[in-house]
Amino acid sequence: MTNKTKGIMGNSSETIRDLDNSFIADNYRGGIVLNTGAINDQIGLAESACPTKALTSVKGDGKDLQVDHGKCIMCGYCSEIAPKLIKMMNKPDKPTQTKSRLVEQLVPQVQSSESYERIGIDLKNKIHKMFGRSLAIRQIDAGSCNGCEIEITALNNPIYDIERFGIHFVASPRHADVLLVTGPASRNMEIALKRAFEATPNPKIVIAVGACACSGGIFGDTYATTGGIDKIVPVDVYIPGCPPRPQSLISGLFLAIDKKIKNY
Amino acid sequence: MTVIYLEKYKKEVIEKFGDKINRTEENNNEIHFILKNINDIPLICDYVCNSLGTRLATIICTDERKIRNGFVIRYVFGKENREDVFIFVTTLVNQDKLSFPSIALQIPAAFLYEREIKDMFGLIPVGNPDTRPLALHNWPENTFPLRKEFDLNTKGTRQEKQYSFLKVEGEGICEIPVGPIHAGIIEPGHFRFSILGENIINLETRLGYTHKGIEKLAESMKLEDALLLSERIAGDESVANSTAYCQAIEKIARTKIPKRAENIRTIFGELERLYNHIGTLAGISTDAGFPFGAARLNILKERLMQLNESSSGSRLLFGVNRIGGVRCNISDENRKLIINTLDIVSHDFEKIITFLKAKSSLMDRLKDTGKIQRKIAQELGVVGVVARSSGIDIDTRRDHPYASYFSHNHRTPQQLVEEQIEMEKRSGDVLARFELRVKEVRNSMTIIEESLNLASDDMFTNPPELITPYGSALGYSESHRGQTIHWIMIGENNSIFRYKIRTASFCNWPMIEHAILNDIVPDFPLVNKSLDLSYTGNDL
Repeated sequence: MTNKTKGIMGNSSETIRDLDNSFIADNYRGGIVLNTGAINDQIGLAESACPTKALTSVKGDGKDLQVDHGKCIMCGYCSEIAPKLIKMMNKPDKPTQTKSRLVEQLVPQVQSSESYERIGIDLKNKIHKMFGRSLAIRQIDAGSCNGCEIEITALNNPIYDIERFGIHFVASPRHADVLLVTGPASRNMEIALKRAFEATPNPKIVIAVGACACSGGIFGDTYATTGGIDKIVPVDVYIPGCPPRPQSLISGLFLAIDKKIKNY
Repeated sequence: MTVIYLEKYKKEVIEKFGDKINRTEENNNEIHFILKNINDIPLICDYVCNSLGTRLATIICTDERKIRNGFVIRYVFGKENREDVFIFVTTLVNQDKLSFPSIALQIPAAFLYEREIKDMFGLIPVGNPDTRPLALHNWPENTFPLRKEFDLNTKGTRQEKQYSFLKVEGEGICEIPVGPIHAGIIEPGHFRFSILGENIINLETRLGYTHKGIEKLAESMKLEDALLLSERIAGDESVANSTAYCQAIEKIARTKIPKRAENIRTIFGELERLYNHIGTLAGISTDAGFPFGAARLNILKERLMQLNESSSGSRLLFGVNRIGGVRCNISDENRKLIINTLDIVSHDFEKIITFLKAKSSLMDRLKDTGKIQRKIAQELGVVGVVARSSGIDIDTRRDHPYASYFSHNHRTPQQLVEEQIEMEKRSGDVLARFELRVKEVRNSMTIIEESLNLASDDMFTNPPELITPYGSALGYSESHRGQTIHWIMIGENNSIFRYKIRTASFCNWPMIEHAILNDIVPDFPLVNKSLDLSYTGNDL
């Protein structure tokens, strides 16, 4: 048996220390990257293959392609049909502080390789500066498919163990500093979400988690959904992905605190 | 074999009700009886369900006013004893009358479907005592989303209406309202407890908070895009749902998928069951107040999710299926990885389970909690682990084999008897569900190992360019929650005319109101977790 299994019932640590060493598979379908040496004849193909309209040609002449990472559900249809133009990278899309920054035009994405531990410790210091104590999160499902919930739950497992950075999940919005909202904001959850937002004490942070929360995702804007959390409550940080990886979630939290501190 | 059974049931029904049946149709393993008169529905459904020993699988309503001058309701009954047959009882609802007789008194499992039809199509189930709205909250009257004239993007004005819960009155009885936002990281739903002291006298659930209009949305989508939608009906059932969806389309298009694709679907279906069952076992451990066990099991769940990612590109197994086969191959390298990881996981899993079972305080908490009566479970038509843990022997993988499950179903007569005895012994409490999940985890690992000898043909066959309009078929699979049934009718130009989804959670949710009786309020999370119900799979 390997070393890993020796400790399963004992005290050896399973927790990851470093983002670089944390697991990410080679064939993970993460965010999409556009090839800057644009191969124009494939733009139309890619655009029509996208089920969520995350890909749009900008000028209408079919020469420039624009990606809205908040809409991308990482299905990979575009890269299958236009492999020279679009590649799926095995890194997740980065969270942003504004919705417009989720959109990029034919610019290759730059990924930082900051370590998970480093981000976490910075985060802890910032939380302490702002709140003088640990950070409390209330998760609200506004109609998600449960995929995002599974990844948020994973933050609490011994591998990602977010609690060591002074972040914990609470049962009531009245005890919370952060609302972590998933789902395309279903019509039936609209009032509950508004009330939860009002019940959260200031300063409060709202984070939209996943493609659905950012833009409505595959469920879009229909009779039963409102097409994004920001139609109902103001959003501080958008975390793209379908669903976002635990690593993306923690860097999203980091961004949110950062934003609040600057405006505080 | 199926053909013989089809003939048998055709003969039996026609012998008895020949004068009431207009015509019969056969379609794969389905036999359709089209009735002359709508008022014969309760009589014939009662006979098919209670005398022929079938189980109500789903009730499908379609708006076919353009083709047939009315709405069509199809009652689907499945045989669950290795005879791979589905019996459809079909009737036309005249567009001037807009009502149909309820079968909820003969077949209690039907009451939720009838409420759903009333919400979505505006047809009144005459005789159903409960006609409160299901998924549409505060929705304007006379607006029915699944009718064809309703536009997908219509925003209904909000009409504040009081939803009436059952009132329990008496000295010392009080109500606890819970939700829609719950305390944990879970989905939204409302529970209304009536309690006397700590004991639960009555529980009523109100769901529909995550209603996203999936069935209506699918009607505006291309076939490939609706596949992505089917994966997101419930994120943790992505393989089960997309397999059912693909199967239905493949049956309509008469496309035979390659052996390799069948194997791969089986493997991913079982990988999905593995990580979810282990997650649920961890949840049971947490809710019983034993986080140590949960922490250990969650490590295994994370390893399995990482295995999912290595083999399919997604931690939740999105993007495994395609119409006509699979999108993800399992290379030799992945095969080795799967074998190695399962080896490690199973070794650790056994250690943890042995440890948990030795904790008498934990086992004592699980025993006799959330007990399900077999008779009630049968009447409500529950499926999956919930059914099997209370001694009802149904499993879609065996009763209606799909993918490559046919080759895993061989049992010697002795094994059959042993299984039957074990089934009879199951008591329907949380402990029974705990033990059954442990057993299914082991079983899944065996199935994966057996399936890893992949056939060497293609990953997919292309379905025909244009699928014949108005063809329909059932697709089904066994998710970790139980039987999942999808019914699709294709429209013109490869569009979807109607996509009816019925996940296991829809059948199992009513059970919780009965399982929790005689328990105390703090038992609720534990019982809820052990039933492992999906809110989004129910609300759609």
